[in-house]
Amino acid sequence: MNLQHRLSSGKFVILAEMHTPKGVDISDLITNARGLKGRVDAVIIPDMDNGVMRMSALAGGALISREGIESMIHIYARDRNRLALQGDILAAHVLGIKNLLVVQGEEMRLGDHREANPVDDMDELELIRTVKTLQGGKDSAGFDLAGKPSFGVGCTMSLWTSDRELDLELEKTAGKIEAGAQFIILPPMFEAEQLVAVIEKIRGFRVPVISTVFILKSVGVARYMSLKMDGINIPEELIQRIRKAGDREDECLRIAGETIAAFGQLSQGVRIETMGWEHKLPIILDYAGR
Amino acid sequence: MITAERKPLDEIASCIEPYNRILLVGCNECVTVCAAGGRKEVAMLSSALQMVSMKQGKTLSVVEMTLERQCDPEYVESLALHIDGVDAVVSMACGCGVQEIARRFGQVRVFPAVNTKFMGASERAGVWAERCQGCGDCLLGLTGGICPIARCSKRLMNGPCGGSGDGKCEISGEVDCAWHLIWERMKALGIEDRYEEVISAKDWRPARGGGPRKIIREDLQ
Ligand code: SF4
Ligand code: SF4
Repeated sequence: MNLQHRLSSGKFVILAEMHTPKGVDISDLITNARGLKGRVDAVIIPDMDNGVMRMSALAGGALISREGIESMIHIYARDRNRLALQGDILAAHVLGIKNLLVVQGEEMRLGDHREANPVDDMDELELIRTVKTLQGGKDSAGFDLAGKPSFGVGCTMSLWTSDRELDLELEKTAGKIEAGAQFIILPPMFEAEQLVAVIEKIRGFRVPVISTVFILKSVGVARYMSLKMDGINIPEELIQRIRKAGDREDECLRIAGETIAAFGQLSQGVRIETMGWEHKLPIILDYAGR
Repeated sequence: MITAERKPLDEIASCIEPYNRILLVGCNECVTVCAAGGRKEVAMLSSALQMVSMKQGKTLSVVEMTLERQCDPEYVESLALHIDGVDAVVSMACGCGVQEIARRFGQVRVFPAVNTKFMGASERAGVWAERCQGCGDCLLGLTGGICPIARCSKRLMNGPCGGSGDGKCEISGEVDCAWHLIWERMKALGIEDRYEEVISAKDWRPARGGGPRKIIREDLQ
């Protein structure tokens, strides 16, 4: 059963994030993907995440599909105008990519090509509408397409730091769903209570909600995120648990696994943000009991 | 200067349709020079809007004012005396002026009566052309005083492209090829050798690439 069917029939899904290389050596990507075959419902390929130039997600998604694993690629409008975006979306369909995740691009000044000129020809909402228009057999200028592409289309919610920000985020998300997004992927969370609270608020949207488990790779990463990233709440006990463990790396994997299992009870799916630990996903899934 | 063109009368009239009393504000600087929103244009638009209103069987009262500079809070302040007596403001300044009024008077709607176009210069009577896109890191010194960002259709840093012909740009016979102009100018200055120097891809951070811009002068604060 493919991802769209699983989502629409209320079945639980696991999505694992994998990055394309900064370069042309795809061996790790392929090896890691093969190790996950049959264990995840889809692999998500971000497109130049955090503004770091890498091989495009389009190529990454196509490679994953070629391995017989369902893929989902990020799309956003920072780097491509409406022609390039639509061209890539059509290409994604013929290359076997079954899902698109419409995201907001990182600000250029935070990436690794800070001098670049951002394009920003459309926003997230317009991009979701454009995908819908393409699926209806027309391009955004109203011209007919020869053959319609089809995708599962998801949107994301950004982190919030106050109830007011959460309300705004919910309003934006409602707009994205109205525009055509079929599922929501939540930002990373580290304790069940946070997730329960937000899921309660988005129940009314009546679309599948996928939570995000971010693999904490060390005490340093956890502390850094806690301090520097607005909206990230990592319980101190979790950080202490890693700090006190005999085998800290294994403890990190265990925590990720346990969080997946816990979030799996609360949301319809889990996205695993790997941060370079793609090769450890099989162990994490073991710990999650998947 | 900043150039602008007045919006079609219908568009302005439809913005103010719900209102009976408006404040129509021109600006004495750029938009006066390009004949889009100075004192004269304020008077003309005022009469035109009142005629539209009369045809609809309504009476529109218009307070006409033209500020020295609408992008300057000092001058915008003088509108405070009139703002309570009106339902809406129509500004004939560039977008900077419109926003300055909106910032100062939060409770009243402000509509633009002109379309702000570009930073440019007058080529001859009645013709203005784009000259600068405010890229924040001027390279006119490298290009003989002609801007490839504002004046080359493809913003080429190393032109011309293959479409340049007879000194004109491929997009239209009406548009000069900026790189043709640059070459001619370099020849005239005797610095043709400079043309061989490759200008690397531009750093767009000082332009809009870095987000909305601000200039902060500590010495003037
Ligand atoms: S508001 Fe300022 S920038 Fe705009 S037309 Fe008037 S003087 Fe020029
Ligand atoms: S190089 Fe930049 S600052 Fe200089 S004229 Fe061109 S756009 Fe304006």
